[in-house]
Amino acid sequence: MTELTLDVRDISKRFGDGETGVLAVRDVSLAIEPGEIVLIMGPSGSGKTTLLSMMGALLRPTSGSIHLDGMPISMMSEDRLPDIRLRQIGFIFQDFNLLSALTTLENVSVVAELAGVKGRAARGRAQALLSDLGLGERLDFLPEKLSGGEKQRVAIARALVNDPPLILADEPTANLDSKIGHEIMRLLRAVAKQEGRSVVIVSHDERIRDIADRVLWLEDGALRDIVTMATDPVCGMAIERERAVSAARDGETWYFCSRGCRAEYLGGPTAEAVIEGPAGDRQAADRER
Amino acid sequence: MLLARRNLFRDRTRFLLSVLGVAVSVGLILLLAGYRAGVYRQASAYLDNAPGSVVVAEKGIRDFLGTSSVLPAGSLAAIRAAPGVDRVVPVVSQFVIFERHGRKDGFFLIGYDPASGGGPWRLVDGREPRADDELVLDRTTARQHDIAIGDEVTLLDRQATVVGLADDTTFWAGSIAFARITTLESLLRAPGLRSFLLVTPAGGVSPEALRGQLTVPGADVLLKSDVVANDAKLLARVFDAPIGLMVAIAFIVGVLVVGLVIYTATIERRREYGAVKAIGARNRTLYRVVAIQAVIAAIVGAMAGIGLAIAAGAALMSWRPQFLVAIEPPAVAAVLASSLLMALLAALIPARSIARLEPAEVFR
Ligand SMILES: Nc1ncnc2c1ncn2[C@@H]1O[C@H](COP(=O)(O)OP(=O)(O)OP(=O)(O)O)[C@@H](O)[C@H]1O
Ligand SMILES: [Mg+2]
Repeated sequence: MTELTLDVRDISKRFGDGETGVLAVRDVSLAIEPGEIVLIMGPSGSGKTTLLSMMGALLRPTSGSIHLDGMPISMMSEDRLPDIRLRQIGFIFQDFNLLSALTTLENVSVVAELAGVKGRAARGRAQALLSDLGLGERLDFLPEKLSGGEKQRVAIARALVNDPPLILADEPTANLDSKIGHEIMRLLRAVAKQEGRSVVIVSHDERIRDIADRVLWLEDGALRDIVTMATDPVCGMAIERERAVSAARDGETWYFCSRGCRAEYLGGPTAEAVIEGPAGDRQAADRER
Repeated sequence: MLLARRNLFRDRTRFLLSVLGVAVSVGLILLLAGYRAGVYRQASAYLDNAPGSVVVAEKGIRDFLGTSSVLPAGSLAAIRAAPGVDRVVPVVSQFVIFERHGRKDGFFLIGYDPASGGGPWRLVDGREPRADDELVLDRTTARQHDIAIGDEVTLLDRQATVVGLADDTTFWAGSIAFARITTLESLLRAPGLRSFLLVTPAGGVSPEALRGQLTVPGADVLLKSDVVANDAKLLARVFDAPIGLMVAIAFIVGVLVVGLVIYTATIERRREYGAVKAIGARNRTLYRVVAIQAVIAAIVGAMAGIGLAIAAGAALMSWRPQFLVAIEPPAVAAVLASSLLMALLAALIPARSIARLEPAEVFR
């Protein structure tokens, strides 16, 4: 059994008591493996941020437990949490939240320094990360001089600088145009995959679904159907298994973005295929030849 | 810490404002302290410059400036004859009012014997009094009353001629003037009057030992340093409360200015501090960031304030020479320390809002 990065068991979060109380998250369980990229989607007010905050040790669940790399962070004393957040978790925010008085380089190195890395080494590490993220020419810029995509790349470098096993991002692309947003997500995926980091992203953004290994749907504080992503073997597009058309061949199930792709893959009427329609309305099984 | 420095210098206006606040506050404190020190120094100037280390005064008299002392007859001869005594300087002191051009002024008239000492220690013009109708005045007082050497002034019921001008002889209650002892004897109609004897111990005899061995009926033998301290206590009753109050107000204003500037700067960066907290900074790290900003502002402000006080003191003294603003190194050190205290108190103002900053807020 692989060690889980994040093990969330039956957590709920209630804000306030009695009549006016809000149960923002109810009985959510989920497990995230090292190197896995999970996207949490859901309507506004469904509790996504609340869930993410609990996973980030910023908020304590009302009930349930959260283990990060085996450590029970939901039960730890307040005193130990800053250190956990600093070393075990990288945060990426919607509005970047860079320190406006510090340069790009300093924004990243200061976080390494918080974790006890000395000045020169911290700057070295920050510089290497920023260069990898394509910001080698922007080291001495103040955040106000950077574009949104550049700011978010600085934020990614900052989230990575203490080498955390888990990265949490809340709406990381909401303030970026879609092309840049997509680029940022691909970058995040690449750095996460290289180092085997787990990434949890909360987003409304349909366009970044394809970078996730798994998409979760949160509604009214509870997880609904868990959506898994697959890649169309014909056109290479990322698709949700539950909503895709599929075909079984040679004992494996394949998923396609469209019937056209499936037809192309199956390559003719002789193929013996079990064909399913979208998972959302399972009654519509497609019997195409 | 880098963040503190950057946050502080990022907004120049705000930084200058807090520096200015501290500078004015520190400058004012130092000026008041210098003024107070000057008052004390002027008050003890006569005794500091007169010969002797032991003072013989009328029984029960403990100070030089506050009360008039009348020694019993024969004291002088008794002290002169006592063993362990090297030199005795008799003086008569009396607070008198004089009038010129219809304007009255009070001064502390010292009667002395030019042959034995106790007269002006910085005679800047003219000479010491040789006759009973002659007088040495303080230079600044003379200038204010438009008196030159050779002019006549009315002293109680008689006229006296100004023959010399002395410097360093102003003090809080007026100035010191000098005449011969015999002038005061006749002016006060008290022949043989002696107020104080300033005694110098013989070689090898300490002032304390001499005080122990001298006894004169009807008189007390005191250390000069104790008399100076008693005069200072007298002053302290008059000056220390208002000066202390003004210093306290200046200090509080300094704390508030730095505190408010740092507070608004902190509130403005609330979100950033919240993000740093979410990322894993502890409260104490953020307090330190804020406190360092306050300390830098306070130290720069204190430096400027010290300069300000020295300049203002010099300006005041040249404009009104009777004032002495004595800015002493211990006061400068105290003011630097108080600016640090100011900074730390000021940093408490935003500390609460930092502590209450919920890191989970950054996701909102
Ligand atoms: N600190 C809080 N105090 C009280 N209620 C809260 C608090 N934080 C969140 N809530 C409530 O919990 C519910 C879930 O909020 P949350 O911010 O987690 O939703 P979300 O899915 O992130 O929404 P959005 O997509 O709009 O960001 C909402 O009804 C919200 O009003
Ligand atoms: Mg949200």
